[in-house]
Amino acid sequence: MKEDEMIICRCEEVSYEELETAAAKYKCSARELKLRTRAGMGYCGGRSCRTMVDKIAAASANDQNRTCVSLKYQPPIRPISFENLGRGR
Amino acid sequence: MNNTIIIGSGPAGLTAAVTCAENGVDVVVIDEYMIAGGRLLGQLYEEPNGSWWNGIKESTTLYEKAINLGVKFHFNTAVNNIEQSNGLWVVYTEKDTFYTSNLLLATGAAESPVPVPGWTLPGVMSVGAAQVMTNVQRVKPGERGVIIGVNVLSAVIAMELQLAGVEIACLTLPKRNRITMKAGDPRKVLDSLLHVSHMAPSPFVRYGSKLMKNDFMKKLGVNFYPKKGVKMWDIPIQLRKAVTKIYGEDEVEGVTLATINADGEVVSGSEEHIPVDFVCIAGGLYPLAELAAVAGCPFYLVEELGGYVPLHNERMETPLEGLYVAGNITGIEGAKVAAAQGTTAGLSMAHRSGIKGLDNTINDSIKMTEQTRNSAPIQFHPEIEVGRKKILQQWEAYQSTKRESICY
Ligand SMILES: Cc1cc2nc3c(=O)[nH]c(=O)nc-3n(C[C@H](O)[C@H](O)[C@H](O)COP(=O)(O)OP(=O)(O)OC[C@H]3O[C@@H](n4cnc5c(N)ncnc54)[C@H](O)[C@@H]3O)c2cc1C
Ligand code: FES
Repeated sequence: MKEDEMIICRCEEVSYEELETAAAKYKCSARELKLRTRAGMGYCGGRSCRTMVDKIAAASANDQNRTCVSLKYQPPIRPISFENLGRGR
Repeated sequence: MNNTIIIGSGPAGLTAAVTCAENGVDVVVIDEYMIAGGRLLGQLYEEPNGSWWNGIKESTTLYEKAINLGVKFHFNTAVNNIEQSNGLWVVYTEKDTFYTSNLLLATGAAESPVPVPGWTLPGVMSVGAAQVMTNVQRVKPGERGVIIGVNVLSAVIAMELQLAGVEIACLTLPKRNRITMKAGDPRKVLDSLLHVSHMAPSPFVRYGSKLMKNDFMKKLGVNFYPKKGVKMWDIPIQLRKAVTKIYGEDEVEGVTLATINADGEVVSGSEEHIPVDFVCIAGGLYPLAELAAVAGCPFYLVEELGGYVPLHNERMETPLEGLYVAGNITGIEGAKVAAAQGTTAGLSMAHRSGIKGLDNTINDSIKMTEQTRNSAPIQFHPEIEVGRKKILQQWEAYQSTKRESICY
């Protein structure tokens, strides 16, 4: 396995190369990188890959926002079974 | 309706719970794990004074104390959302919803990943997972392994694995790329290693820490760093080698190790194969602050504290009324500092609950935290003090802009 092919986002199977290419082309924020590649949008909610997506974006983007978490957290922050989702609401 | 809820039963959460209960405040603790202790459970090492720090024993003592004081615990219960509504905090778990006036987030830290080609093979795990398997579940992660990533945590865990009879072929660096960056730069790694040098029996590292004060000497240090590596507790630490690949058919069979120059670049043709049956990835820790984020708490990025940290003051209050933080969610430090912060948070919540006469105790507890920090045997980040100052400055700045916006 070559470095380019190594998987960064396991849930969405996004490789290092895909992220690198998108970051180099768009010089975008971590959020935009996520939307373009789907890295961080899997069922773990980005728990495994968010710091890596952040770092790739930070290495290409011009500026990093210090006052707000770059990849937004969305509830539920842990998986919930379908049965219990929305129960009692 | 509860008076106080604490999310996380690590050293910070447990100590806060005990402190609240001692002051007559009702407390409920929620944790997604099945027992109390958090990351304290995995810790087992010798302290500089020769005594042993046994995390399981420390956790049990604290937990029993809390139970005797009437603290209620809900284990196997993950909190998936929190929100403020009508002056109360609403805490959502899969089955139940809780309501409380005071809410403490003591959710600790998470491990940063370090991607290496082949790292999705079975047999590759984070160094913290190897620690929990060995010290908590008492299962060997394998017979012989390699640890990728040289830092305080991986050095301590390597020693723990060795104590359990697991062979560690070496601690080494990941190959440099856009994600590993500093962790793949021998000079940066040596820099941080010098701060734990008092733990190393090797004269090279011990004398090195005094000699290599300035950058020039550091560069020399990496250039002359022995090709064989230096040994800490008999485990080779390789700063001039990096893993370029983890290989194996259906599971880990070994790693490819290459020599790197002082800038972290691979010397081609230097690759060798090291047979191992497991690999640990050690990318360091960052504060686990998801719940503070969904609550809308303001954050600030402080590298010295390990990443994005919810704004807080020395009394462990956040800018959100009734929301508190303590432990590694506020920055990466050892268990004793987390516990000291837990005491302060517990006192602050008791104060807000109407318990009188706690002001002096709170100030003493803030001082205790500082003392504990100064006497800590290991520091996860050498500039932790600088980080702590930065977050306090941000707190002040936030408070003054808030005051201004109220005036106009
Ligand atoms: C892998 C690893 C190894 C470490 N090893 C050492 C070491 O050897 N020595 C040392 O001094 N320090 C070590 N540390 C640092 C460690 O974080 C501190 O020592 C200390 O345990 C921090 O205490 P805490 O109370 O802040 O958090 P923790 O001890 O991490 O406890 C947090 C608790 O919160 C719970 N939790 C988190 N999120 C939720 C949620 N959404 N819902 C419900 N429960 C939740 C967790 O299950 C956990 O029990 C290690 C940290 C990690 C991550
Ligand atoms: S690993 Fe990327 S979303 Fe789960």
